[in-house]
Amino acid sequence: MQTSFESAVEEHLDDVHAYLVYLTGDRAAAEDLTADTFEKACRLWKRYDPHRGSARTWLCQIARTTALDHFRAEARRRRREHVYHLREQAEPSVGTFGEGLSPTIESALAALSAGEREVIALRVLLDLDGESAARLLGISATACSTRLSRALKKLEDGVRGHVAA
Amino acid sequence: MSLPDSILAAELRVARPGASPELRARVLELAAWEPEPARRRLPELRLRRTALLLAPAALVAGLSVAVAGGIFGASSSPTTRAAPAPQVLRAVGGADRAAPVENKAFTPSAAAHGAAVAPSRTRAQQYEAELRLRVRDLSRMTKRALQLTRGFGGYVRSVDYGSGTEAGTAALVVRIPVGSVQAAIVRFSALGAIVEQHVSIRDVQPVIDARFRQLQALRKGIATLQQRLADPKLAAAERRLLQARLAEARARLVALQREQAQVQKRASFATVSLSLTSRRAAAAPARPGRVERALDHAGSILLHEFVVLVYVAVVGVPLLALALLLAGGERMRRRRATERLLASR
Repeated sequence: MQTSFESAVEEHLDDVHAYLVYLTGDRAAAEDLTADTFEKACRLWKRYDPHRGSARTWLCQIARTTALDHFRAEARRRRREHVYHLREQAEPSVGTFGEGLSPTIESALAALSAGEREVIALRVLLDLDGESAARLLGISATACSTRLSRALKKLEDGVRGHVAA
Repeated sequence: MSLPDSILAAELRVARPGASPELRARVLELAAWEPEPARRRLPELRLRRTALLLAPAALVAGLSVAVAGGIFGASSSPTTRAAPAPQVLRAVGGADRAAPVENKAFTPSAAAHGAAVAPSRTRAQQYEAELRLRVRDLSRMTKRALQLTRGFGGYVRSVDYGSGTEAGTAALVVRIPVGSVQAAIVRFSALGAIVEQHVSIRDVQPVIDARFRQLQALRKGIATLQQRLADPKLAAAERRLLQARLAEARARLVALQREQAQVQKRASFATVSLSLTSRRAAAAPARPGRVERALDHAGSILLHEFVVLVYVAVVGVPLLALALLLAGGERMRRRRATERLLASR
């Protein structure tokens, strides 16, 4: 049976938002992108086919496309304005990646690339199965698994590094 | 792959960021504007499904076209193949640029009776006839043809006879006085069934007339020379010259008379080439029935369809492969670009 868009929003809003937070590493941008994602999803809802995947995967796919468009637009804007973006190595703002998350993990997460955070978000936070996550990322299940292992290892290393320091 | 179940993962799950109340309200407000329900659409055609549907459909369409074409083609036009060998008599002349050649065509009924073109009684003609006959008893008919030739006052120029256990052929070239040739051809034709008959008549009268005028002129010239030589006052040197010219004219006269005689002799006899065979003509294939013609047409159309299919495959497959290669390359390039973009953030 076809679920309504409203129930899909209620069910998956937090998932999409969490995914975008991890992908962007920026809460404010993630909020805007989440709103954009659902706006697009609202327009495209009639094209959603439950037989081809869950609503959550479909929404995450739209969120990813939206975020990638945002990243590209940002990159173009920076090039146009000749502003050389220097990645902020300063401490991330508290609670970017979650409520009550230790600053060490926050820093370690911030040190990961968007791609690495993305796979952690999909497989750990959203608990997507390997096949769905791989399809969403446009890679094979094996590559997805490898990418997750490397991302988690890097995260653990980052956390250990901070603790040791 | 087992899910990562470390303490770190658990901590990430517990501290998972949630949407703020403002965002929730914003998105729910958007969702309240319920999009129109999903319409029942035709099932989306995917590549495999499409191919599975199109392949049998194309096969059925191709067969239908072939069957329909076969039925209509068979009913609209009779087959043109395997027409039985016509017993047509043609009169073919040996072309000669100088002399006019009379070619005669015969109707089958006339051919059946062996009617031949009569030679002219007033003009000299070179008459040649070729007859192909199918006979039952080759040996007897060959002998009969020779007897007929002699009976008509003719003679045999050549005989080539050969017979086997089942079939044989005899090739005779005979010369018949031209006055009897028409009757001879009728008699020869009665020896068997006529398969083919050619008659070639070349008018040689202009040649004979021209040569006759040359002879007259020569004779006149000789008489003049003889008159001049009879003059006793003729100088010795001139006499020798006139005698030489007289000798030359006489030699030329003799040669021309010989040529004239040959042409006249040749024209007085007709050459008849007889080809007798005891070999049975191949049975004419039976006219195919309607079903057979329809199948034949359908097969022909199917063959054409196959040729077109092969052509399309030969031309299309490399193009399709190229398109797929380009599409794959573009997809790879975009994925790499996305990876770089995500890695840079």
